Parts: sequence; structure tokens; C-alpha cells
Amino acid sequence: MAEPAYTVASDSETTGEEKSSSTFPEIAIGVDIGTSQCSVAVWNGSQVELLKNTRNQKMMKSYVTFKDDIPSGGISSLLSHDHEMLSGSTIFNMKRLIGRVDTDPVVHASKNLPFLVQTLDIGVRPFIAALVNNVWRSTTPEEVLAIFLVELRAMAEAQLKRPIRNVVLTIPVSFSRFQLTRIERACAMAGLRVLRLMPEPTAIALLYGQQQQQTSHENMGSGSEKIALIFNMGAGYADVAVTATAGGVSQIKALAGNTIGGEDLLQNMMRYLLPESESLFESHGVKEIESMALLRVATQDAIRKLSSETSVQVDVDLGNGLKICKVVGRNEFEQVNRKVFEKCESLIIQCLQDAKVEVEDVNDVIIVGGCSFIPKVKNIVSSIFKGKQLYEGMNPLEAAVRGAAVEGAVASGISDPFGNLDLLTIQATPLAIGIQADGKSFVPVIPRNTTIPARKDLVFTTIHDNQREALIIVYEGEGDKVEENHLLGYFKIMGIPAAPKGVPEINVCMDIDAGNVLRVLAGVVMPGSRQPANRVMEVRMPTVDDGHGWCAEALHRAYGSTLDMVTVQKKA
Amino acid sequence: MSVGIVSGFHLNLNDNTSRWRKNYNLIRCCNSRRNWKKAATQKNYYELLGVSADSSAQEIKEAYRKLQKRYHPDVAGQKGHELTLKLNKAYEVLMEKERRRKYDESIGQMRVRFAENGTLLGYSTWNGPLRPRALFVDENACIGCRECVHHARNTFIMDEAVGSARVKVQYGDANQKIEVSVESCPVNCIYWVETEELAALEFLIQPQPKEGYGVFGGGWERPKNVFTAAKSLNQQLKRQAETGNNQRTGGDFEETSAQAEARANASMKMKMGSVLKIWNWVKDTFGMNANQG
Repeated sequence: MAEPAYTVASDSETTGEEKSSSTFPEIAIGVDIGTSQCSVAVWNGSQVELLKNTRNQKMMKSYVTFKDDIPSGGISSLLSHDHEMLSGSTIFNMKRLIGRVDTDPVVHASKNLPFLVQTLDIGVRPFIAALVNNVWRSTTPEEVLAIFLVELRAMAEAQLKRPIRNVVLTIPVSFSRFQLTRIERACAMAGLRVLRLMPEPTAIALLYGQQQQQTSHENMGSGSEKIALIFNMGAGYADVAVTATAGGVSQIKALAGNTIGGEDLLQNMMRYLLPESESLFESHGVKEIESMALLRVATQDAIRKLSSETSVQVDVDLGNGLKICKVVGRNEFEQVNRKVFEKCESLIIQCLQDAKVEVEDVNDVIIVGGCSFIPKVKNIVSSIFKGKQLYEGMNPLEAAVRGAAVEGAVASGISDPFGNLDLLTIQATPLAIGIQADGKSFVPVIPRNTTIPARKDLVFTTIHDNQREALIIVYEGEGDKVEENHLLGYFKIMGIPAAPKGVPEINVCMDIDAGNVLRVLAGVVMPGSRQPANRVMEVRMPTVDDGHGWCAEALHRAYGSTLDMVTVQKKA
Repeated sequence: MSVGIVSGFHLNLNDNTSRWRKNYNLIRCCNSRRNWKKAATQKNYYELLGVSADSSAQEIKEAYRKLQKRYHPDVAGQKGHELTLKLNKAYEVLMEKERRRKYDESIGQMRVRFAENGTLLGYSTWNGPLRPRALFVDENACIGCRECVHHARNTFIMDEAVGSARVKVQYGDANQKIEVSVESCPVNCIYWVETEELAALEFLIQPQPKEGYGVFGGGWERPKNVFTAAKSLNQQLKRQAETGNNQRTGGDFEETSAQAEARANASMKMKMGSVLKIWNWVKDTFGMNANQG
């Protein structure tokens, strides 16, 4: 990695419990950094083992507290109560904010968190700050994650008694490639090398594949193919995958993901309990932050209780004469969050359609993640699958990290004498990748749900006579218009031979390798010629850095349509 | 200088000896008959997967997974990249009925599939449950007027290569639309036939390569009266089933699975060799660090 190792002082020494681990030194660990909770697991030679912190917890809260300039994360520091965590000096929910610009609706929805998230709506990174001794200390999602990863790493190193360098991280399906680079950067800052970034449901698919392999000791390739639907909904994101598993090979048939999660349920509930909350807390004073925090904690508790009870009493004094005293029923909760649940439903249905799988063909339905405890979520899934029994045998909170640990072992080339690692996940692209052409249209070169490694090409041409240059602007997403998609980068092809418009053939090829690295190649061929007219450009994407939100607009202002292209032919 | 890039760029890595031909391919890419040309110069997908041309989707899937498990970059490292790309491409095409049919046509493979019980697999698929009657176009009589396609576009398609209409999906449209399209045929070549006979009819109406003698003969042919031919074929099949002689008549040779695997392995190794050569060259030249996640 090019970035220098960035280490942050951690105030407390993590002393792991004595344990004889028979792990090989080079096994990558699996890390699941959730929006609210995180965990670490490793293949210990015969099975997956979750690492515990000094307080014997397997699940740790994902937050960093800034105090007197020495930040400390949720791994090592001990907080007496949630309230302290919400005093304005603690930053969390970074997984929702990483790699997003301040025009993103998700960033806007994060403004009522009990620390500062400020937007200027100009396409730059939002201003995020913690209140330390009455002064706003600015930070970035990458920094917060890095601090956190340093602590996770220290914890793992202390327990495994070896240096940790390689990690497999799980990520939401809906993350753009730009967001992935931010995760990679956070890892680099923490001195970690990313071996794989796995979409969360595919990690679960791998674990499922292993379980199937273990239960049926049949030879590989035997006809016992099993199709599973995996629905994973945590605090920040909801993801769906359809996987076909046989003989330890899990083939991801389709992926779908969205930025909906427990956090949305929480915010909708807070708004329901205190409709004017947003304007009340806008000034972000110490008092307001405290009230915001109290409301948050009380609402969170209420939602948790509603998973087992049909109604709950919310009784909280927010200070400043604000008091909430209300009985909330489960049906009210479901009504308030109707839209979120509808979105879950459509996500599952879309994924099934993309995978070309009928409800009846699905052998197992797996629901995991923090939100899988919510009765309504279970209802939605079981009504789609006509009351089918849900798959048991997976811990809803640990499945993703366990899958990541298995992938860590597989990708590190570890073999298991019992064939427990004789596994493979054949991944697919969650989002289409293409370029701008035909005006402001997004023309996908690699469609969504293409098996990777993948390589596809399309031919474009010039729109002006004697056009000598063409701009390749690479986007990722599902929208028909480029503005609806994520910008990944841009470069220019130069030296196109002078010719009437429509004559030069500009071949744009995209290649994604098994490590999910995207390369874009572009070359020009003149009809009748047998070799490229210029040097073929090969660019590794993404190339954009922070502030990219306004890049596309600036490009358009500067060049208009002078360097535009049109498609030569749509794929039949 | 740019040989390595060029070959990576043009998707053809299986014969790196003739690089100019590769560029030639690229130019043809913009040709409307792209698929034909492309397929002709590339390795056969069936050979790549080590399956016979008449294998079922299930067999293809299994072969694909078996090969993936050996050559996927997660297992074999970066050197498996090019091969896995090809496997993915082959799989993508062969797993989709329509694309596989087009591919078969383009490589001149006639896929004649005799199922275990001696019945033929026809061309059309069914929308909804199997019904006693099915639609069939006598392509000998069809004049290619497209009336039926116009009235029931989900049921009929036009085969541009042969110049006649064909049933793609049985009952693909509402009954009324189908009635109208049958009525609309100016030469009355759309028939309601017994479902049992459909497979044989659909098989026989596909033009078969005709054996040539020197400069005479050759080309393609189909039976003059497809209905009588289908009857006799069905009888023949029935007799075969009775005598327990269920041999496939489509394939030229039978391969045991061990033989097939050995053949696949051998050809794979040869291909891996050439892939490796290029890969090392690219790596040396550009110092690409492929293992960076």
C-alpha cells in the first residue's frame, strides 16, 4: 500500500487471555465492522473462532471517543453507560458516512446524530466533528475507522500472539467502488492489508456453503445443488443475495443492497416520539446534544423491547422541560416504519428476479443481522416465501464475520485435512459499471450481477468531425442518467486520427479480477487498419479523490460536448 | 511494445501467435455479423468446459463448477484470471437457452438431444402447464410474412437466418391473440398439433446438413412433408425404447467422464501455458501488482 502506516496511540493496553492457538502465521483475519457493532474472527486450524476483548465480549460497539486529543475506541475503553457515549465527544455510525459527499441524502439523514455532521451541499466531504472540551475537533470517517481498526488489530495480535497484517473485511452490497477505496485507506492507516472486501451476504453464503459441505459428505459436483436466499439487515444497510451452492462452490446469482437499516427505524421512531426534534437540536449545544442522546437511547431501548413485547412504555426526561411519556405499540412502530419495511420487501423480490429464481426453488432462507430480531422483518420474509421455515444454524450477529474468517483462510491458501476449506465463492458485481455516452446517458459496459472475474467491451465513436480526443468518464450504478450514478474516474484518449464523425472506433474494455480490481482499457481503431491507432490506455479505477462530487459538473462546464462519444451498437 | 496490452484488450488469449489476426477480429466487431465471426475464431465453449455439445444445463453447470474450483484465481492465483474469464463467458452463453441456440448455430453444432426415455427435446418452451395441443409452424410452407409475429409477439419469432417464423413459447400470448395470428397466416402454415408429436416436428423442421458427394449435393435440407416424417420418427423412437436401445444418435462418439476430464485437463494445461506466458510478460513490463486487493 502506498499510504504510510498511520498509528494512533491507544491509551489502554489490551492484554488478551492466555490461549494456545494453532493458527498459521499468514492466515488473514475476518473483520466485520458494522454500523453499530463489530467483531473479529479467525480460522484456528479446525474451525472459526471469534476473538473476545478484555471484557470478554465478542461483539464490540463501533465508536471512537475523543477525549483530550487521545481518541479511544469501543474495543478497549469501558463506558459506564450509553449516555456517556452520547456526550458529543463520541463518533459513531461512520459506516453510513464513509466515502459520501455532502449532497448525499444519507449524510443529510445523519445530521441529528449527537455530534456534528454539517453539510454545505457542494459535493465535498461533510464536516464531521466531536465536541471535546467545548471545542469541535474535526475528524473523518476514515480516521475513526482507522483508530478503531488499530484497536481491533492490537486485540487480535495480543490473543493470537503474532503480528496481523492481512484482513478480509465485509462490506455492504450498495457500497460504491469509491467507498471501497476509503475502507482500504482506513485499513492502510491502521497498518492492515486488505486481502478481500466481501459483500456481507456473500460471506454468509460462503459460510452456508461450508455448512452444506459438512452436512453432506458427498463428492463434489454431485447434483445436490441448493439455492439459498440471504437477507442481512443491520443498523446501516440491508443486503440480499441469492446463492447456488453445490460441492463447496457458492455461486452468487444476484446481489441487491440499500442504505436502509436499524438506524432508519430509530430515526423514524425518534421523529414520531418528538416531531420537532430536528429543529430543537439544530444548534448542537451541549444541552441539545445531551437531549438528543437521551432520546436516542430511550428510543433504541423501546425498539429492542418491541421485538419481544407488543407494547412498551417510553418515559424519558430530556431536560429543558421536555418530557416524553408515551406507550408505544408494536403496530405503531410498524406503521411509522412502513416505508422501510416495504423497501426490504422490494429488495428481496428484486434480488429473486435478478437471479431468475422462483420462490419455490429456494431451498433455504437465511435472515441475519441485528434487524432480523424484529418480528415484522421475519413476517415480511416468511410471507414472501409462503410461510417457509427459516434456516437455523446461523448466529444472526456472527454469520458475516464467520464467513469473512473462512474466506480469510481460503484466500490465504490454507488447506484443511478434512476438506472444510475446500470452498469457493464465485462473486458477482453488485452494480453496473459503464461510461457516459450518447449525451448524458449511462451506458453499462459490465452489467449488474455479472460473474467475476469479468471482462466486457463495447465500441463507441466520435460525435464531431476531426475529433482528436475523447473523454471516458466511468460511472458505477443503476441509473439511466450519469448523474444518478457514482463517479469513479475519467481520462482522455488522445491522438485519434482526423476522420469524419462516427468513423473512429473507440473500444472501451473493462476488466474486473477476482480481487475486485477494476481496470478500464480504451483504444482507437480506424476501419481498415489492423492495429490500434494510438497506445491503448489502461487505467485502474477508481481514480477520483475527495471532492469528486463536483468533478463531473466541472468537466461538463469546461468541455461541453466537445469530447463526447456515442455508442456504435447496443449489445444484441 | 503494446503486444501484451493488445492481446489482453482483444479478449483473445488462446492463440498469441497470430496477433494481427486478433486485430482483424476487433475490426469485425462492429460488423453486424459479429457473433458469427467471433465464434469461428475462438475456442469452442463446449471444448473449454470439457462437455459434449448435447449436454444438459445440469452437466454444464457441474463441469463449470469443477473447473472453477481448480482454476478460479482464489484457488489458482492470478494466473487463473484469463481462463476463468473464458469459463464465465462460456457458462453465461450456454446456460441461456436462446443464447446457446444462437451459439450452436454459429459454430455449426446441431444439438440433438435424446433424453433417457428416447424422446426428443423440442425447440419451443412452454408458458404455463403442458397442454394437449401445441402450435407448430410448417416452415416449408411459411413465406416469412411476419403476420403471426406481429399479432402474438411472445409466442412467435422470426428466424432471420432461415427466413421463416417459428414458435418460441407455447401459449406465450393470450388465447385470443394466438387465434388471430393463426387466422392471419396467408398460407395457413400454422398448425395445432398433438403435444406428443411436437418435439419430433420441431426437431425435423430444423434444416439438417446434407451429405455431399464431391461437388454434388451438400447444403441443408429438411423433410418435404414434416408431418409424415415426424410420425415415422416417433415410431422409430418407440421401437428403440422397446428394444432398450437408447443410444444417442446425435453425438459422433461417446466419451466416458474420465476421458472427458482427461481431455479437458490436457487442453486446459496447454491454454494455461500460453496465459502464463503473457501474464509474466505483462507483469515484467509493467510491474503490475496483481495481488493487491
